[in-house]
Amino acid sequence: MKQHPLCTDCEPNGSMLDLPVPDVVKQEWLALETRRRFLGRSGKVLGWAALASLFAESALIGGADSKGLSSAPGRDAMKLPHFAPKAKRAIYLFMSGGPPQIDLLDHKPNLAALYNKDIPDSVRGNQQLTGMTAGQAHFPIAPSHWAFKQYGQTGTWVSDLLPYTGRMVDDLTIIKSTNTDAINHEPAIMLMNTGNMNAGKPCLGAWLAYGLGSMNDNLPTFIVLQTKTNPKENNQPVSSRLWSSGFLSSKYAGVGLRSGGDPVLYLADPNGVDREVRRNMLDAVEEINRQTLADVGDPETNARIAQYEMAYRMQASVPELTDLSKEPQSTWDLYGPDAKEPGTFAYNCLMARRMAERGVRFTQVYKRGWDVHDNVTGLLPILCQETDRACYALITDLKRRGLLDDTLVVWSGEFGRTVYSQGGLSAENYGRDHHPRCFTTWMAGGGVRPGITYGETDEYSYNVVKDPVHVRDFNASILHCLGIDHNKFTFEFQGLDQKLTGPTPASIVPGILV
Amino acid sequence: MAVKNSENLSVRKSLKSSSSRAAWIAVFLSSVALLLLPVLLRLDGKQHAEWLQFLGRFHPLAVHIPIGLILLIPVLEIAGRSRPALREAAGFVLPIACAACLGSLVLGYALAYGSGETGTTVTQHMWGGIALCVGVMLCLMVRPAWSAEERRGLYPSMLAVVLIALFWTAHLGGAITHGESYLTALMPAPLKRWFSLGGAGKPSARAGSFYAQHVDPIFDANCVSCHGPSKIQGGLRLDSYDVLMKGGKDGPVVVAGNLAKSVLLERITLPMNHPHFMPAEGRPPLRPEQIAWIRAWIEQGASSSAVSLRGVVVANPVADPPPEPVGDYSALMPEIQQMQQGQGAKLVAVSAKPSDGLILNTVDAAATFNDAELARFKKFALYIVEADLARTGVTDASFDSLSQFAHLRTLHLEGTAITGVGLAKLTKLHQLNYLNLSETKVDSAAVAPLRSMAQLHHLYLFDTPANPVPKADDAEPAVKAVLSKEEK
Repeated sequence: MKQHPLCTDCEPNGSMLDLPVPDVVKQEWLALETRRRFLGRSGKVLGWAALASLFAESALIGGADSKGLSSAPGRDAMKLPHFAPKAKRAIYLFMSGGPPQIDLLDHKPNLAALYNKDIPDSVRGNQQLTGMTAGQAHFPIAPSHWAFKQYGQTGTWVSDLLPYTGRMVDDLTIIKSTNTDAINHEPAIMLMNTGNMNAGKPCLGAWLAYGLGSMNDNLPTFIVLQTKTNPKENNQPVSSRLWSSGFLSSKYAGVGLRSGGDPVLYLADPNGVDREVRRNMLDAVEEINRQTLADVGDPETNARIAQYEMAYRMQASVPELTDLSKEPQSTWDLYGPDAKEPGTFAYNCLMARRMAERGVRFTQVYKRGWDVHDNVTGLLPILCQETDRACYALITDLKRRGLLDDTLVVWSGEFGRTVYSQGGLSAENYGRDHHPRCFTTWMAGGGVRPGITYGETDEYSYNVVKDPVHVRDFNASILHCLGIDHNKFTFEFQGLDQKLTGPTPASIVPGILV
Repeated sequence: MAVKNSENLSVRKSLKSSSSRAAWIAVFLSSVALLLLPVLLRLDGKQHAEWLQFLGRFHPLAVHIPIGLILLIPVLEIAGRSRPALREAAGFVLPIACAACLGSLVLGYALAYGSGETGTTVTQHMWGGIALCVGVMLCLMVRPAWSAEERRGLYPSMLAVVLIALFWTAHLGGAITHGESYLTALMPAPLKRWFSLGGAGKPSARAGSFYAQHVDPIFDANCVSCHGPSKIQGGLRLDSYDVLMKGGKDGPVVVAGNLAKSVLLERITLPMNHPHFMPAEGRPPLRPEQIAWIRAWIEQGASSSAVSLRGVVVANPVADPPPEPVGDYSALMPEIQQMQQGQGAKLVAVSAKPSDGLILNTVDAAATFNDAELARFKKFALYIVEADLARTGVTDASFDSLSQFAHLRTLHLEGTAITGVGLAKLTKLHQLNYLNLSETKVDSAAVAPLRSMAQLHHLYLFDTPANPVPKADDAEPAVKAVLSKEEK
């Protein structure tokens, strides 16, 4: 029976190699297949373990002349960092929900005169709005409820909601022209974290863990801290997709520490089980895992073995990390009383500083609740009180301890909020909808230029009029601070050289970089 | 064979005697013409016909032909002692070298004249090229006498002079295209000190002024390679305040207080693809804040002495010097890798570039790492640029070992038992620009010797007797007020 040239799935003895797919994909598949076959034939006991050590050995010998030094996999091949980094580690303060830039850092004094006037159509253009405001007949301008003051030597305008941020503006690199492609939380937050709106790609932290490796063998390379939710606030869900390793090995995924109770569940040994018993148990489990690995050849088994070992070491390192009893009084003076309560944003900021001291490569702190569709005047003071002092404390603490020189701190949400009010606008209150075209973010520390404001928005804080910074450029710049050229940092998957910034051209932002 | 050779020689001799006078006259006339060229066709700093520039741009390519040929001549002459055929070859190469030399000179002149380049280096390079051409022509003239074994000393000494002129001229040419400091920029520091290459002072602006601190360095880094003493494009120099204010061939480029008339500002703010955009020839544009500083500086009087400008804040004015590259440590790699597999302290590469050096990371081994452990790293001392010894067991005794880490730029000693005795030993570390002594027992007396370290820009003494923590941070400012206002 003659087959139609385009029909490829019913050939009885057809092989994957006959399919009309690119050669790279075929090669990837062949490599997988030969490895499985080889492992299938090799003995059960030594199998993969012996092979792995052989590979490690030869990789190291290769490294000897190529001078790839770290034990991190992938590093020999890619030779990272590409250049001497300004920052060795990063702390990412993620303001989930989308903070309203107009009420915080993007000062628009002329809006007061436009109170309750409709935003001109020419400004909005043909933008598609969210379902929440698309049906509104009017788009009345809601000027910020709060006054702004100038702070620091730079004279940067900061809202009265952020008096502590005002004190540190000279240390910040404020970007008013950050913009994104997505208008809803999930795609926007995925785009921010993984460079792609669809789930399944590795996030920034996983890329860093994969590329730069660990600085401390006793703690995870990438740790995620979630802030306890405040029931008064409009909390959008934050899920482990955001710290997933995607197609990278799962050992590069973020390790979440819980916001209350035990930071890591079941990490402590139960009564009657001492460290030696635990060790024996882990050795036995590892033996079994290695057999599974030899039988199946799935590299994820290796990741599992590594995770058990990491958990064992964390039994000692995490209690030390979370023991704040030796923090001096000056710490509490700086961070405030909130920091004593586990799970608050202030506590997490303090933990982030302690992790920076202990060589954690990437710490991401999530603070939810910024999704202020209504009751801005009720919610923003609470949100700012929870975060303003803590952010200031973290930067100040890192700075006075000499850690800010080689730590990059990033503060960002997934998008901004509209200048026009969602729902009713009154003299007392208003709401703000999602706004992807511009939002304000800041960075501080290693690699970025302190005391500058980059980019400008129009008088409605609606469109970027100067120096736009797309999420891709934002991420490329973060990688640059850590010594990575985002175009060279790739991982081959599904026949593509995947990278954090994706296939659309991106570029670092020289104006914000040292 | 020998008879035939001597016959040839005698034939050539007779030929020479008949034509030599004409040749000498030709050489004399062309030498005079060359020497007069700069007078007749003066390098006036103005641009001339584009075809001249087009031809001239082949000069950097063409010069390599006479360079190669001239260098070949002494090689052939010396090798020719044992293999006479090579000596004959030298006689063949010499006139070609001479022709190539003259050709390159013409192209070079077309380049300098056509694109309006002037400056001491350009002038010296020009005279070097002329001297070289004359020298090669003279070599060509005196060689027959030498090969006939008359006047034996003249040709070799001429050739030596030509070679010296060649090296000098070629070096100047390199300095024009790549910049004066190209060769020495990456020279290891000890060699630099040996040659005592230091930055020369700039007399015409007040030290510490905004111009000297912020404006002049921008010009130095971006403009002076074309608008400096060695190459004066458009008659404009930007290497010091006086010459900057003097302007170029079309008049001043900076008019104090007048942004519209300041051509310099106009040129650097044009769209990048504009033919008059500066820096030219695809060099990177100035940074936005650099342009803002220049604008503010011109607007507020373009002063050589004003220390600060209204509305201009220069964050982080302290720039760390570029790191010195470390040597080749590949022989120690096996040991470094073995360390990485183990439990203790590790050496990690700063980047994929080996000359960026190594980081000594002790964070996994802080509990066991001590002075003895540190001493074990002495053999890597020259390659370590950063030592993270925070919260380890090292003591004041470690300064002896550390003072041998000659390339050390970053040193973390926070949270150790250090008291600061012997801290002065670290002043030997010329590269050290970061030292963290937070949470140690050092007092002001102990850290006093560090003041002599000009490059130590980042010294941290948080929570030490030298810098005790101030009492309670002046509590929460306005937040409470804002809250209460909103809550009611």
